[in-house]
Amino acid sequence: MALTKASKEACETALDELLARCDGVSAVMLAFRDGRPYADRVRDAAARGKFAAMSSSLVALGQSVLRELGGGVLDHVLVEGNDGKFVVASVPGSGGLLVIAVLAQRDARLGLVLGHTKTCALSISTAIT
Amino acid sequence: MSASYKLLFIGEPGAGKTTCIESLSEISPLVTDVRCTDDLAQVKESTTVAFDYGELSLGDQGRLLLYGLPGQGRFSFMFDVVRENLLGVILLVDAASATAADGLGETLDTYAAAIRELPCVVALNKNDSPPPTLLADCEALLRKHGMVAPILLADARRREDLVRMFRLLFTMIENGAEPIAATGGMAWH
Repeated sequence: MALTKASKEACETALDELLARCDGVSAVMLAFRDGRPYADRVRDAAARGKFAAMSSSLVALGQSVLRELGGGVLDHVLVEGNDGKFVVASVPGSGGLLVIAVLAQRDARLGLVLGHTKTCALSISTAIT
Repeated sequence: MSASYKLLFIGEPGAGKTTCIESLSEISPLVTDVRCTDDLAQVKESTTVAFDYGELSLGDQGRLLLYGLPGQGRFSFMFDVVRENLLGVILLVDAASATAADGLGETLDTYAAAIRELPCVVALNKNDSPPPTLLADCEALLRKHGMVAPILLADARRREDLVRMFRLLFTMIENGAEPIAATGGMAWH
């Protein structure tokens, strides 16, 4: 696994494809597991740090809950509210280094958001390995 | 149902928050540490990204819930998770670090507004004889952020040191704090 300039550009292309193909997605964050942004498509630059930190916290908490309760390996964490959905998952093949988080609007279809998030994560996995 | 109270451990990464909770907790602690990916990796292998959690019995008085929050400012949103029923704060300083005062400064920049009204003890960890200037620096930083708190030496691995911190904190609570029913927190007068 290597995080080069070329692989980062490939990751950003994958994020752009997710935004283009999945209706209702408003922001995507690719973050390091300890909560720092790596690549993103988040309009509010000031929010990037917190977006990345919250994403890593949710993945860590999800993994801890599953570990404590015998729930196996984390696939994704979904947070759903009146006005939006937030999906966060580990990027396979990154050795747990990266997490991907997707913010979608209320009317976005959950199945599509989940599917496109996983497709994007696989594209990122290919780009960095 | 017995009462439960929260005690918060905060401080820069590596200050000893996870160690404190592991030393005190009567249950297997919940830990959300991940391996560092930035310069911090040169100092420590892993860092907390959500919170550490443990529990301690207070006998007939209920249970003490122990929370350790990440030291980096980007995780300050986690404070909202533990705000309710918060009894007090242990502010940990890595006194063996050459940048100990900077670490405390960053922690206070992040959390001072939230913890200023709570009973607080500052614990200088990892160094039995820190330089006198560190004590003065810590006092100055507390004053700068409008806080008053006792500063003491403690080894986060030694339970007796942690018990001493608790006694001091509870003395402060018994002699000057009263519960705020609306928030479940405590007001320090």
